[in-house]
Amino acid sequence: MAQGTGAERLLRPLAKTTGAGTLSALVATVVLGISGCGGGSAAQTTSSAMESTSATDSKATSAKAKAPSAAEEEQREAAGKVRRAVGDRQTSPRGKQGPEIAVPKGKPEPEITPEQKANSNLANIALSSPATTSGSSLPATYTCDGRDIWPTLEWEGVPPGTAEFALFVMNMQPVDGQIFVDWAVAGLDRFLGSIETGKLPEGAVTGENSFGKVGYSICPSQSKAETYMFVLYALPKALHPEEGFDALDLREKVIDQSGNAGLMVTSYSRS
Amino acid sequence: MNRNIKRTFLMSLLTALMLSAAFAGVSSAAPAWRFNGEELKSPEKIVGAAEKSGLTIPGMTTTCENFLYTIVISNTSGTGTGSITELPLYNCSTNTKCTVTAITPEKLPWAANLSTISTKNYIIIKGIKVSILYGGKLCVVNGVTAELEGTAGGWLDNTTESATFSPTTFSTTKTELTMLGNTVEWNGFFPTEAFEWHREQALSAS
Repeated sequence: MAQGTGAERLLRPLAKTTGAGTLSALVATVVLGISGCGGGSAAQTTSSAMESTSATDSKATSAKAKAPSAAEEEQREAAGKVRRAVGDRQTSPRGKQGPEIAVPKGKPEPEITPEQKANSNLANIALSSPATTSGSSLPATYTCDGRDIWPTLEWEGVPPGTAEFALFVMNMQPVDGQIFVDWAVAGLDRFLGSIETGKLPEGAVTGENSFGKVGYSICPSQSKAETYMFVLYALPKALHPEEGFDALDLREKVIDQSGNAGLMVTSYSRS
Repeated sequence: MNRNIKRTFLMSLLTALMLSAAFAGVSSAAPAWRFNGEELKSPEKIVGAAEKSGLTIPGMTTTCENFLYTIVISNTSGTGTGSITELPLYNCSTNTKCTVTAITPEKLPWAANLSTISTKNYIIIKGIKVSILYGGKLCVVNGVTAELEGTAGGWLDNTTESATFSPTTFSTTKTELTMLGNTVEWNGFFPTEAFEWHREQALSAS
């Protein structure tokens, strides 16, 4: 990445003219000057000359590696100078004089390495609820304004090798410098594809949420809209936590172990 | 020539003119790439760039301060096509406690084509796939790699030589990007420039 991306290289201003570049530009200008005597504008002739070169060379150019050769760079540099020399502004409705796109500051974001990908949780489990669509508001019945029970949740696309699932519902924004957990459930059987509303399947254990309650609660402050993230993690081995486990501690372990997750976003606002 | 023959001849002529006008209209529905008004004859590399382009899913917007793409454009049977070969992203962040640990455009090159819809020209990009790895101790999707996938349609404005992506252009072109099961709102304004044989020439689609 030391030299930047191909796009970056293209955006960099033309380098100072080399001897060969100047010579090429000079020769081209003289040739164009002569041909310009025969009628038509010099600029038009430049364009057609460039087109004919392009017709033969550009296919090969596009097939080459991203980094242009020194000869290509010189050719382009010369072509740019020729255009400016013959007044290319006349042919460009915008009167272009050099690139207008700036090279971005800083380095491009790093790409995900194979190791990072292997250690991350790929969000490829489809988690949904018939009670709401992802991104929509949660009906009041599933909040403290209603029955404060969880909605039915369904999932598909379980990866092979899953031993069990763990489910967390969290506020998108932390509270008092900590992730706010509304619900944490572990020990969900690998053969499950859903959880019914208000009814936990056998073997499931619930952790203590950030309200200090062993259970579920969606209850934002009055007049405050809150966004919630439901995250279902597939685990390759069972964690066996006890009822009332520390939700944040378990989440750390789950993130370390899990390789696949299902996500669903919802929101709720108390009027 | 009697009146009937004259009338038939004139009607035939009128019909022929109408048909040719109709066919001309159809052929102009697929725009081509042009430089300084001249139809592009061979492939050309152009670069598009945007500042502060944002991808929004409910509850979280991922913004990249700068966003480049390299696209090799050409005309095939008079219709503009393209192939996006590179997409470096710069200074990406979110409006939550999540950070962008890494971001990867996948399955490049992405195919693109030009299309005219209600007199406006659009670039339709297909097969888009971008993986984003989020991080951050206070991030609810810490350690999650989310995939952005789908198609995107941007309006090509010949006067500014730019492509604009917005919910309106997605709706007009019937394109959609999704991430985490949600439709992603992508906003970006991309001025474009040629960097090979048509450097410094005005790019347009018509």
